[in-house]
Amino acid sequence: MAENGEPWGASEAELDPVEYTLRKRLPHRLPRRPNDIYVNMKTDFKAQLARCQKLLEGSGGARGQGGCPEIYIHGLGLAINRAINIALQLQAGSFGALQVAANTSTVELVDELEPETNTREPLTRTRNNSAIHIRVFRVTPK
Amino acid sequence: MWPQRLPSSVTLGTVKIPGPAMENYQKASSVEKPLAPPVPGLPPDTLEMRVRDGSKIRNLLGFALGRLESESTRRIVFTGAGRATGKAVTCAEILKRRLPGLHQLTKLHFQQTEDAWVPVVPEAGLDPLTVRRHVPAVWLLLSKDPLDPNEGGYQPPGAPPGLGQPLPRTPPHTPQPKRRGPRASGHWQGSGGGSRGETSRRP
Repeated sequence: MAENGEPWGASEAELDPVEYTLRKRLPHRLPRRPNDIYVNMKTDFKAQLARCQKLLEGSGGARGQGGCPEIYIHGLGLAINRAINIALQLQAGSFGALQVAANTSTVELVDELEPETNTREPLTRTRNNSAIHIRVFRVTPK
Repeated sequence: MWPQRLPSSVTLGTVKIPGPAMENYQKASSVEKPLAPPVPGLPPDTLEMRVRDGSKIRNLLGFALGRLESESTRRIVFTGAGRATGKAVTCAEILKRRLPGLHQLTKLHFQQTEDAWVPVVPEAGLDPLTVRRHVPAVWLLLSKDPLDPNEGGYQPPGAPPGLGQPLPRTPPHTPQPKRRGPRASGHWQGSGGGSRGETSRRP
């Protein structure tokens, strides 16, 4: 899938440090608010679920903050499944007090291919990945 | 090893049953519980695309685009469960980029599946098993016609995902990459496509 001029089996560009620029920088229009949770596949699932639960209970019980009792769960690529799982389990365990709403988007990831031999300019490869943003919010029972 | 005396229905999560443990059984059938559409009242000419784990995005999109461009359908639903969830989301994202101006509605649910496993060799003492799995699943509606904006999970065409209000008075976030030197920086891309990432430059 390489779009450079070299054949894929070229021995020059060996190293492939995958640069998930998203790990380094959050969306620039959205600095990490306290109610943003980014889900990944490395951290234990139960730990992430517990963290979301604590955040929801905390934000629901906090007084005088003026913020909405809602959290945003973000998942990228393979973590989309996990994000959906967390959100749905939160909803299921809340006895109808929580609602979920999901949005999707595309995120650009940049790979940098470093040539192993001497100074050749590094190649960059841009690819797209899907992301999901799930809003979990408290609703007042009617 | 699975003990030979098992209750006839076993509920598992999303974990795949490891091979050697189930060598006495083979899968007889796999029935997915049908899902009521989360949004009632869809017109019958809605194209339903069921994305499976082995589906090729190229094929799915070719078919969907053909139908949409030929005006025979105005709405498309992508459904995917388990491993196909990400693929369904990707299909919808690519479709949105190819055809701007689509309204999107996203719904999440758990998909129940019942697998029936029967023993390969009909020995006494091995009961047929029913394994119930529930996996996360996504239901994505893309429509040329406007949808109800108050519905949970609505995304208007070309808009970045509704992520709520940013915090006021927050200092701009300029982290340094942990590796070496300044690198290319991508950024979140709204669903309408548009500008691509910046090019990278080495010092």
